[in-house]
Amino acid sequence: MSEQTPGNHNQNGEGAGAGTMKPGYHNTDGQGIAGHGSFFQATDLSQEEAVKATDWVRKHVDRRTIDLGDRMDDVREHMYELEKDGQIIIHRITDQHEPATVQTLFGWDKQVPTKQLWHHKSCGQCGNIPGYPTSLLWFMNKFGFEPGKDYLDETDQTSCTAWNYHGSGIGNVESLAAVFLRNFHQAYVSGKQHGHDLGHFYPLVHCGTSFGNYKEIRKFLVESAELREKVTKILGKLGRLVDGKLVIPEEIIHYSEWVHVMRNRIASELQTIDVSNIRTTAHVACHYYKMVHEDAIYDQSVLGGNRTAIITSTAQALGAQVIDYSTWYDCCGFGFRHIISEREFTRSFTMDRKIRVAREEANADVMLANDTGCVTTMDKNQWIGKAHNQNFQIPIMAEVQFAALACGADPFKIVQLQWHASPCEDLVEKMGMSWSEAKKTFQEYLKEVEAGNIEYLYNPELAYGGKV
Amino acid sequence: MQDTVLVVGGGPAGLSAAANVTSAGYKAVMVEKEDVLGGAPILSGYAKLVPSGEWASEAIGRMVKRVEDDSSATVHKGAKVEKLDGEAGNFTATLTNGETVQAGSVVLATGFTHFDSINKPEWGFGTYEDVLTTTQVEQMVASGKIACPSDGRVPERVCILLCVGSRDRQIGREWCSKICCTVSANMAMEIKELSPETDVFIYYMDIRTFGLYEDKFYWKSQEEFKTKFVKARIAEVTSSGDGRLLVKGEDTLVKRPIVIPFDMVVHAIGMDPNADNPEISQVFGVGLEKHGFLERAEQYTNTCGTTRKGIYACGAAYGPETIDDSIAQGAAAGGRAVADLHALVQKAG
Amino acid sequence: MATYAEMQQIFDDIRGDFRYDHDLNGCLNCGICTATCPSAQFYDYSPREIVQLLWTENVEQIYDAMQEKIWACAQCMTCAARCPFKNSPGGLVAIMREVAIKHEMQSAKDVLRPFGRVMLKLITTGNQLSPDMIQPDHFPDWGPNIQKVEGDLQVLRKAIPVKTLQTVETAWEVSLKTSVEMYTIWEMTGVLKSLELMDENLFDVIEDFIDEKREDYEDWLEEQEEEDDE
Repeated sequence: MSEQTPGNHNQNGEGAGAGTMKPGYHNTDGQGIAGHGSFFQATDLSQEEAVKATDWVRKHVDRRTIDLGDRMDDVREHMYELEKDGQIIIHRITDQHEPATVQTLFGWDKQVPTKQLWHHKSCGQCGNIPGYPTSLLWFMNKFGFEPGKDYLDETDQTSCTAWNYHGSGIGNVESLAAVFLRNFHQAYVSGKQHGHDLGHFYPLVHCGTSFGNYKEIRKFLVESAELREKVTKILGKLGRLVDGKLVIPEEIIHYSEWVHVMRNRIASELQTIDVSNIRTTAHVACHYYKMVHEDAIYDQSVLGGNRTAIITSTAQALGAQVIDYSTWYDCCGFGFRHIISEREFTRSFTMDRKIRVAREEANADVMLANDTGCVTTMDKNQWIGKAHNQNFQIPIMAEVQFAALACGADPFKIVQLQWHASPCEDLVEKMGMSWSEAKKTFQEYLKEVEAGNIEYLYNPELAYGGKV
Repeated sequence: MQDTVLVVGGGPAGLSAAANVTSAGYKAVMVEKEDVLGGAPILSGYAKLVPSGEWASEAIGRMVKRVEDDSSATVHKGAKVEKLDGEAGNFTATLTNGETVQAGSVVLATGFTHFDSINKPEWGFGTYEDVLTTTQVEQMVASGKIACPSDGRVPERVCILLCVGSRDRQIGREWCSKICCTVSANMAMEIKELSPETDVFIYYMDIRTFGLYEDKFYWKSQEEFKTKFVKARIAEVTSSGDGRLLVKGEDTLVKRPIVIPFDMVVHAIGMDPNADNPEISQVFGVGLEKHGFLERAEQYTNTCGTTRKGIYACGAAYGPETIDDSIAQGAAAGGRAVADLHALVQKAG
Repeated sequence: MATYAEMQQIFDDIRGDFRYDHDLNGCLNCGICTATCPSAQFYDYSPREIVQLLWTENVEQIYDAMQEKIWACAQCMTCAARCPFKNSPGGLVAIMREVAIKHEMQSAKDVLRPFGRVMLKLITTGNQLSPDMIQPDHFPDWGPNIQKVEGDLQVLRKAIPVKTLQTVETAWEVSLKTSVEMYTIWEMTGVLKSLELMDENLFDVIEDFIDEKREDYEDWLEEQEEEDDE
């Protein structure tokens, strides 16, 4: 019997019967399935037969039990072959990076480095929602990370340029590949100037689109010898080869994956504010879990492993309420080009499919996201909703900003909520902080800034390759 | 001289194979890993079978009885073959219950595993209580009522999603599971019989009610039971918060995206290779084809064969199969396995 | 209106992209792509239609779709994540856009004109967006309270406790060397050339900017050498 029911889940059909399935109940033990079994006790099958009848489900025949072989390609295997052939250098994740292992859509393992990270910034985010890189760096400091050794934020990087590509069609696979490899080469060698080995710092990608784009481009690079040859010429000219070879990262890591693997430490070591009264909804960036989607993190303990764990896992770890809503899977309406020049589409879509639903249906206190484009779209388009008879408002921020607030970070100086248009003050107040006082303190600080007394999360010289 | 055929698996195909072996005057030893015979129709509590309309427990029950009452057939239930030594004409199987079986040939009737809908999470199974599978609704129909598990209400609107775990490269299930279109049309009629007020919609990519199933199921479900067929593959199933489920698709014939509310969503789950196939492949030394089902030896001259001499197969072990065809293939494989024994007799003579 | 031969050439260019076979395997016409497409809810746009036109090699209708429809796609790539055949309609649209630019189609020019500011920023700085671009006067529909603390943008940016973000004209500070390396990438991959096809004025502005930056970089290198000599 136990062979058919790993974990001995509900072997006797106990607990079955009407009322065992509560609305909103999620399967979290990774064995049984919500909505299964109990109702069917009323059939003319005997108890034993009924248990037997649903055994195949308890057995949890999942993606992992069937060998998908070559039919489900893991690009990493091809990378290792190329490395063996001496064609490329893989920027490896080593013990030094203190990686955590997570599982992705098909149950494959993915290593997420937690230390020695090279911050690869996001253009929209830095220009528009600076609170999410600052919150991230703030957390790293809180964990005692040493800037220049455990993380690096420097000026030698460009954006991935994929926003422009997806928006305008200007650019091409070659240019995207060259930009990707140039940035990641810099990450690979960046430790040198601070007295570390090659590969010391591992790139941590802040942007959802960069994350998706880099993974797609990496696939093309691994698949196409022609593309590799073309970009090798370019990278050679830039002096961005190592031993004449391209440097390709073993894993591409999104900042929210770092937050995901650190969530329990954040909650147990740093959290100071009880957020159990906060109703959160999640909007996960399309380019996080829909592009090269086999690489997104899924976790049996988060939403039963049925949806990507990112964001929700953090809200859950902090003890906030996680509220489902009917347009959970929908895009935010950003559209790359659309947010600039098809604004009617962007604001209509985001108001109708996201903001209204989160407000009316989920009655949420906040919508948490993990990408520049999504936060900007949902945050900035609420005001105009009034003109469309859609007077709905909800605070929008990245999950790392919410986590920082829950850990007592300053809403202005660290979380930088002053750049948001949505009613973030409502959330801050509900969390028990005084918005007006924080604002007053910040305005005092602005005077200090004007006088040249600026506070930094790390020694500014590090940004230019300077010493710690 | 060997007079025994080892039959692995006690579902429709295996029961048919065993019966054919003994009817030819040889002995059959059946090994079934579950504690009861009958295979998926019995274990999963199917309701009425396609196309006979007979209750599974009665129809398959007769097959079970025929083997259990047969003095030439020995049945090991709750046991697996863990080792197979020897070669064609002289196999020795060691079972997990400690017994050994001498056999001249082997028939693998190891069947399939139902697709686990949890692998298509965007369709809501495991997240929403009122998202069910066809096997669950089979059981519901068998119990004589149709109701939403969340609150017991009789659903006003039910939809059946076809090709769940079939024809889907995203999850490595490229095959058509063959039976789900007909089973779903049949189920739509069963639901309507139990609850005439309930509207049933079927969302499909293609309808494959092949052969004589066309008018008996596809047409009849429309003409007599007003089942609505919509050519659309559903993107996601979510809940609107009021307890109803929302189904997002494109009516491809009308060419517009649609979001439609339902009280109950049913996944017409497909047939996966038996989850034990990697083990079966190793124990019996037989190959698997690229999808993970058993590999056929040669389509035209050795259609019951596997990649190993003396080992035959039948039914859903080879790929998605109907119950009727599984039974026919079981009979053929039983006959082919007996032919090996008969050849041994002739050789000895 | 293009000749049939021209339309055929456009299709051949689309089909010639190495991603084409990757993104298009056939089509079951199930509609899951359109079901999940944000743009299909708003525009007369259907990813399934795009796939069908390409798969059936309907060169006239492909040409027609490139006049407007392909620009409706939001590039969210949900279609690719859902397609049971593992096509990527969004990926095909990206190829079609590249080809529209290569063929200097008027639709591409019209569509890209309002996007010029972002392109200028990106090509010259390696950032797409900068704080000075997100000011209320640029986005009146974002409302008067685009941010929650009034004040001088320079000062507000300086109040971000991360050195690289204390910028106004770029999202973060990009080193001169980095920018110059990026210009080489633009040149070697034909990006500047396609910009020239699309918008000659914009191209001129960008070229001047690049020349200037390169000179700055040369000067800086010379200074470094002199310093080293001393």
